[in-house]
Amino acid sequence: MGCFCMQPITARQHWRHHILRSLEPFFYIGPAFAVLLTILVYPLGYSFWLSFHEWTLRGFRAGIPWVGLQNYLDLFTNADFITAIRVTFVFVIAAVAIEFGLGLGLALLLNQDLHGKNIIRALILLPMMCTNVVIGLTWRLLLNYEFGLVNYYLGQLGIAPVEWLSQPAMAMPAVVLVDVWNTTSFVALMLLAGLQALPEEPYEAAKMDGANTFQSFYYLTLPLLRQTILVALLWRFIDTFRIFDVIYLLTSGGPARATETVSIYVYRYGFQSFNLGFASAASYTMILIMLIVAAVLARWIGRSE
Amino acid sequence: MNRWMRLLLNALSYAILFVAILISLFPIVYLILTSFKPATLTFAIPPVWVFEPTLQNYQDVFAGSDFGKYFLNSILVASAATIISLILGSLAGYGFARFRFRGANWLRLGALIPQMLPPITIIVPLYVLFNSLDMIDSLQGLVISYLTFSIPLSIWMMTGFFADVEAELEEAAMIDGCTRFGAFLRVSVPLVAPGLAATAILGFIYCWNEFLYAVILTGRDARTLPVTITSFMTSKAVLWGRMAAAGTLVLIPVLLIAMLVQRYLVRGLSRGAVKG
Repeated sequence: MGCFCMQPITARQHWRHHILRSLEPFFYIGPAFAVLLTILVYPLGYSFWLSFHEWTLRGFRAGIPWVGLQNYLDLFTNADFITAIRVTFVFVIAAVAIEFGLGLGLALLLNQDLHGKNIIRALILLPMMCTNVVIGLTWRLLLNYEFGLVNYYLGQLGIAPVEWLSQPAMAMPAVVLVDVWNTTSFVALMLLAGLQALPEEPYEAAKMDGANTFQSFYYLTLPLLRQTILVALLWRFIDTFRIFDVIYLLTSGGPARATETVSIYVYRYGFQSFNLGFASAASYTMILIMLIVAAVLARWIGRSE
Repeated sequence: MNRWMRLLLNALSYAILFVAILISLFPIVYLILTSFKPATLTFAIPPVWVFEPTLQNYQDVFAGSDFGKYFLNSILVASAATIISLILGSLAGYGFARFRFRGANWLRLGALIPQMLPPITIIVPLYVLFNSLDMIDSLQGLVISYLTFSIPLSIWMMTGFFADVEAELEEAAMIDGCTRFGAFLRVSVPLVAPGLAATAILGFIYCWNEFLYAVILTGRDARTLPVTITSFMTSKAVLWGRMAAAGTLVLIPVLLIAMLVQRYLVRGLSRGAVKG
């Protein structure tokens, strides 16, 4: 930033100028952060406070009594909560692993010189933009035991109909399947962007040294793409860890809590039983678990730079 | 690699991508077709692909509920949240792209945290606060709750787009007598117009699709479309025909816009990933 003053500057003017200049960034970023602090940080602070209190729909007008660590103690001795954490991690690991495998494959295919690449990319992108509620309900229809098309086509292949959403053992594969349908394209597009940003020289050198396609993929592409891969995995972890809409509409967490993730668990205690102190304690535990896993992933990203 | 091998690999690539497209589009096409099917064919097995389309489901949707009103709610809430966060996000994005100051990186990372937090953890305190402020079932309340994710999204995307504009252009304008804010408005903002459009569209779609906040914060008045669709699941039965028609009405605008601007969306989304 230039200063085009013709007269010599006094020390006082200099200081004023200096202070104004150092405040300038905050003129731009200030408003957004002021709003975020009000609508986000304050409520989150409030729910931290709430997690040590009892808030019920019936009782809150009479008062919100302090209960100390009772909510947290109740939470950790609640078998459903332990189940919800396990269910969440099973879902996260299965969904992200499959999405990553398929997404990497798609990205490599799309990174070739193909005709109609843009239109292919645009069509593959569509599931990602769809309204989650509509996805959930459409797949509920497709996976219906009696008149769902999935069972119909399986039948054509000679496979007996599957009780996708009503049998505990099959409900988890079903919700993973729907999430894979929904978000594989996101992973593919992120990895594709990473592939397109790769330098060309190492590949030419490898080719001259007689490396084949698989060798240059394994020894060049994967290491060079490491950071993009980790960022994609971090995003998918964050997103699958908090999944709510699609599972809520497919199974509502059932049958027999087989698909009750932590988000649905908190929803059940918070907005069906209206025990919001307890729900706050569960929220904070959820955030803590997420931060720990995210921090580990972020460290890997930092190390690869 | 010889020519035949290459040709074979190419054919294989197209075949796999064709299957991927088929799988991606099948549920969407099926939903749209179901919405035009007469009630007798909705559950027909084997599925009927050729039939005389009817608008009965759409008529039922509009006759049976305040669908028009909720459609308007969705548009109002998504537009308001998008405009507010676009203004605040552009300013902040510009600030991060142009200035080096102590703590800039921490603040920029801090702005990403709301995007990482599970929505259920944000809605619990918001519900309690809105409850005590008497803001449950109001459009304003819903807009405020949407700002929690649309502002961070705007900051994140706009920082990248502004970083692409060369600072020299603004400096030239400032030498010509513009203030920095004037240069920002007259030089940089027009240059990032495509980025602004992409950010606005993505933010709008996020708000348009949002379900959890809406189902908790709204009742009869401020309800949005995703919540309305679930009202076709009654305790007795799911009204699949109407559900499909309403779902199609929600989906079509989003899909059309996404197709039109996918190039910018991909750039905006992936930029953060590649540049870290």
